[in-house]
Amino acid sequence: MSQSSPFVPATAAAMGRRSRRPPLALCLLLPALLLLGFVFLYPMLDIVLRSIAAPRGGVSLAHYGKIIAQPAYLRVFLITFEIALSVTVATLLLGYPLAYVLVTARRGIAAAIMACVLLAFFTDVLVRTYAWLVILGPEGALNQVLRALGSAPLNLLYNRYGVLLGMCYALLPYMVLTLYSVMRGIDRNLLQAARNLGASDWRAFRHVFLPLSLPGIAGGSLLVFILAIGYFITPRLLGGAGDQMIAMVIEQQVELGVDWGFASALAIVLLALTILGFLLYDRLVGLKSLFESKI
Amino acid sequence: MTDKKTGQRISRRQALRRGLRLGAGLAAFGVASGRFRRAAADAGKVVVRTGGGAYEEALRKAIFEPFTAATGIQVVPFATNVAKLVAMVESGNIEIDVADLGEFTTVTFQNKGALAKIDKSKFTRTDLADLDPVRDYYIGENTYATVLGYNKDAFPTKHPQSWAEFWDVSAFPGTRMLEDMGAEYPNLEFALLADGVPMDKLYPLDVPRAFKKLRAIRPHIAKWWDSGAVSAQMLASKQTVLGSIWSGRIQALVDANAPVAIEWNQSSRQLQTLCILKGAPNLDNAHKYIDFALQPKQQAEVARLSGYGPINRKAFDHIDAATADKLPTSPQHLKISFATDASWWVAHRAEIADQWQSFLLGG
Repeated sequence: MSQSSPFVPATAAAMGRRSRRPPLALCLLLPALLLLGFVFLYPMLDIVLRSIAAPRGGVSLAHYGKIIAQPAYLRVFLITFEIALSVTVATLLLGYPLAYVLVTARRGIAAAIMACVLLAFFTDVLVRTYAWLVILGPEGALNQVLRALGSAPLNLLYNRYGVLLGMCYALLPYMVLTLYSVMRGIDRNLLQAARNLGASDWRAFRHVFLPLSLPGIAGGSLLVFILAIGYFITPRLLGGAGDQMIAMVIEQQVELGVDWGFASALAIVLLALTILGFLLYDRLVGLKSLFESKI
Repeated sequence: MTDKKTGQRISRRQALRRGLRLGAGLAAFGVASGRFRRAAADAGKVVVRTGGGAYEEALRKAIFEPFTAATGIQVVPFATNVAKLVAMVESGNIEIDVADLGEFTTVTFQNKGALAKIDKSKFTRTDLADLDPVRDYYIGENTYATVLGYNKDAFPTKHPQSWAEFWDVSAFPGTRMLEDMGAEYPNLEFALLADGVPMDKLYPLDVPRAFKKLRAIRPHIAKWWDSGAVSAQMLASKQTVLGSIWSGRIQALVDANAPVAIEWNQSSRQLQTLCILKGAPNLDNAHKYIDFALQPKQQAEVARLSGYGPINRKAFDHIDAATADKLPTSPQHLKISFATDASWWVAHRAEIADQWQSFLLGG
């Protein structure tokens, strides 16, 4: 879209002028770069070194060998990606209509919905997860309602359903807010124009609104997926034996096993797999979709 | 730029001046507090690592405050998890003197060479003959237990009284829970007891045999609990009617009149220990603190407030019968329980973690 704007050449020229003074740009970037270097790059390097450090000094790939030799750890990685992907799809399916209502509804209704979304956002994740324990239990609120209605109780705790429910609930605001910010920027006159040209509501949505909201879909999905990959409180409390996520295993190795080398190797493998996923995503969807709309 | 209080716009120079003043103030504060900290160390303090929460509250009343009253030494509680402690040891920037830790972690730290030997010749208050265990690098402080907990509504007349009966799902139907490796360590001992291994012949654990027995009970396990809170929640809300659970957790439920009860038979005892970190800045005070904390009266008070069992046997002189009946180390419970071998666990933890992982996924 921006390429067709008549202001582009002027903006580019202005940027060109600014970029001719690198010291200022560098000065502005320096604090952020230093911070990133200290709190991100250095620890990352430390984790890499720990993962390949042999107990008596030197380099060893024993930790990585163990991850490959023990199918259980690879299974946990698989489960992690499975859960993260399910949560991403579910929050997108739930969040898209919600965000759409938020931008189209009357102001009062929109504010009420926004308040509900943000309320979930502001409550501590531990509190929210414990609330799910109370709601989903065999004697919990949900099953009491079901029983009163004469229905059989549902087993939603300590299994995949519980984990997905809890994580979707926790991550939905990220999806909704990302979608909302993109959808708000969509010029509604374009929809009007499509309708004036004879498009049905659905067609106008399908060919105008949806493509313009793609950056929101891409951004929200990426955000939720990455947050979901590192989750451990919710699966730990709501999940069963088959819902182990890799962050739970890493935490165990750090806190109880005090085996930081192995924990580091697990973290690095997670990082590598995530980057791999990223590249795949770039191949299929294109990272560019994060920054520009397609119409 | 707008001033919040007056709503007036302020100039850049004014803002700059304010910023400078604030900066100078902060710098002065930093210098002052640094000097203050050094002054406090001279006056005498000891930094004690605790896990925080209700246990630290009990320690504060039973040990910290009387210790300061008796010696003038300030106790600075430092609530931190194990990971932070490891980081502190690795970086060599030791800010903690005494660590109040579970024996598993203590032994791990000892193996890493992170602990200082405790010089018992400095002790003047505590008689070491009343304590067990006393080791070179740590001393038992108190004891918690993992017990067989059950719901009284589910078993009104007859409840499982051993781990063999826990495993007997036809005599005692209902879903169960056992400990996950994420909480501390899986209940391999209970599995072996259920399989007929005598309590005094548990260690070294027959790991394959234990896993085989765990596989037999697996279909009846609702969840392998990995935190004390979850186990209490599950038993209280009847999501399970039977399970292994930490004595402190279930005692809190009993005290709150939940329909649950403890079977002490074949329970396992775990140690909470006191140790001194190598490079502790207040080494002398650390010894004084440990010496003070292990006295019978202090131990009795911690027991009364926390439900942890005292290590000092003389502590029971200060504990009434009703309280003693709730403690893992009372004479009647000592007889029917066993001490967990933390050294064995630390040595085998990594390999069991691998097996546990595949066990959870159905292996």
